[in-house]
Amino acid sequence: MFFYYCDLAWRSIRKTPMLSMLMVLAISIGIGITITTLNVYKTMSYNPAGDRSEVINSVQLWSQGLDTWDEFSSNMTYTDAMNLRNNNELSFKAATFRTGLAMQSDNPKIEPVLQSVRVTDRDFFKIFSVPFLYGSYWDVSVDERPAYQVVISQKLNLRFFEGKNSVGKTVFLDRKPYQIVGVIEDWNPQPKYYDPLNGAFNDAEEIFIPFSLTAQEEFDVWGNTSGWKFEPMLTYNDRLLSEKVWIQFWTELSNQEQKQSYLAWLTRYVEQQRTMGRFTDSAKTPSELVQISHVEKWLEDNNVVPKDTRILVGLSLLFLSVCLVNILGLLLTKFLKRAPEVGVRRAIGASRGQIFSQYMVEVSMIGFIGGVVGLLWAFGSLTALHAYFEVDQSLIGLDMSMWFITPLIAISTAVIAGIYPAWVVCRTKPSVYLKAQ
Amino acid sequence: MLSMKNINKVFKTDLVETHALRDFNLEVNEGEFVAVTGPSGSGKTTFLNIAGLLEGFTTGEFSLDGVNVSNLSDNHSAKVRNEKIGFIFQGFNLIPDLNLAENVEVPLRYRGMNASERKRRVESALEQVGLGARMKHLPTQLSGGQQQRVAIARALAGEPRFLLADEPTGNLDSLMARQVMELLENINQQGTTIIMVTHDPELARRAQRNIQIVDGQVCDFSMYQPAATGTR
Repeated sequence: MFFYYCDLAWRSIRKTPMLSMLMVLAISIGIGITITTLNVYKTMSYNPAGDRSEVINSVQLWSQGLDTWDEFSSNMTYTDAMNLRNNNELSFKAATFRTGLAMQSDNPKIEPVLQSVRVTDRDFFKIFSVPFLYGSYWDVSVDERPAYQVVISQKLNLRFFEGKNSVGKTVFLDRKPYQIVGVIEDWNPQPKYYDPLNGAFNDAEEIFIPFSLTAQEEFDVWGNTSGWKFEPMLTYNDRLLSEKVWIQFWTELSNQEQKQSYLAWLTRYVEQQRTMGRFTDSAKTPSELVQISHVEKWLEDNNVVPKDTRILVGLSLLFLSVCLVNILGLLLTKFLKRAPEVGVRRAIGASRGQIFSQYMVEVSMIGFIGGVVGLLWAFGSLTALHAYFEVDQSLIGLDMSMWFITPLIAISTAVIAGIYPAWVVCRTKPSVYLKAQ
Repeated sequence: MLSMKNINKVFKTDLVETHALRDFNLEVNEGEFVAVTGPSGSGKTTFLNIAGLLEGFTTGEFSLDGVNVSNLSDNHSAKVRNEKIGFIFQGFNLIPDLNLAENVEVPLRYRGMNASERKRRVESALEQVGLGARMKHLPTQLSGGQQQRVAIARALAGEPRFLLADEPTGNLDSLMARQVMELLENINQQGTTIIMVTHDPELARRAQRNIQIVDGQVCDFSMYQPAATGTR
């Protein structure tokens, strides 16, 4: 009977093209808007750390003075970063910040490129499970004794070395020679959770160099630097010794025990720093001045999904419900117009259930068509967002799951809207219409 | 075959109670051709709707084929209508979007019959009413008489035990009415019980039995004194 109902539904849709088109339009616009906002929300709220979300932790210290900032900063000072790096209790830890350098090779035919660069420790690659195509990260000794080594992306490797294994070769970063120790595969976590402050939806860096080079090379900071008191910054050393915060610090803590142990260590660290005149917020105890956040919390604390986006999702669902009410009205009109036909069908043997099923198949078909058109709307809206409002590319890709979810939402919407009209029409008393016809 | 005992049908509104049938009694035997006549508003259509399980009744007893059908569920009523009863209406009541074959096929679909059996029955029914060559035509492409023949074919395709016809010739001219009537007589001769509501006394006379409904009751002809006979 299902195929019979499908055939009847298709005929009915074709018989009243204008009304059907209005319904498809109502569903598709509602679905298009909902899917657009849902897609943006889903992309923004995705946790790329997956099952390692609890294991990867950001360390935050309340190094600001009394009556200054009222929340933990996502960054820390160079002094703290260096001290935390030197703590041997942790298996994996990485200080990191973003800079920018011009990259070129020996080959004069390949033009230099100005690249965003991640300055970090070797554990960064382990903590964030960065996949390697060739070679690996630099040796552990490089984190202690600076060496001009670099890890580059597959894309840069293709540009500079035609995709061949470039490990051992030299590239120049701001005209200084760096030896390539590894080439990573395409890796671009979205949101860019290891540094959401510098554009949560920016692409990942394609060059990685040792953090130990920072003091020596005086890398510019391509990111946020925040201070809570006036400090003259005449030299790079002033920056390194200042209370300005600009470095993220990540660790890997496998279980709750490790977390507690590390928090205790951090508390002792703060107590020790207080004796040296730092961590001057006397309103808080040392244990209140330390925080470790797993990825989920980190993303939330950094407002990767702004409140506005959540409100927008709510509004779009509200809009969809308005569309649903409109469809309900249109369906009621359409179905009641066919009550005489229902009367005939009921008279010659159709049960209420069969009539109800027939009309539910019809609304499902309208919903499905609306869903497909809605997907096109969503695709068009996302493209327009990218084109006219410079929304980040990563946010406008229609998530694969949406291609399946959208028709389901559309069909569900249509079915919800269709239940009442189908129920009304299936309860038609055949005798009322048989004589009237 | 059809037995109605003391059937009452009352339509109620907030202000008025209308007795469409009162203490209605009727027995129809298998193979009979019964014509039901009566003035407008006498309850003919209400009787037919109850007989066809399209409507319930207020009190009384109704059995069909020896089975009490007074309190059937909606599903069960639909099944009985589909399997035992064929309907023919004054307005033909064909589904305009479906061609003739598809129209005739509708009750068989609801019976869950397989495609080959449906095809056989549809062809046979349309052949029987003389429209075998026009299976792909739409109802709007046919005359009134032809449309009524399609409606008859639709009723016949289900091989019903009895046919209920409500003014089957009411919308037809006399020639076409005669043709439809001949068709119904043929069907009856093949064993199908027919109950036909009509206003036309000439058609009523062609039936084997004639009952008249007045004010929701079957008129008792035993009390009727055929005074006019004596003056002829």
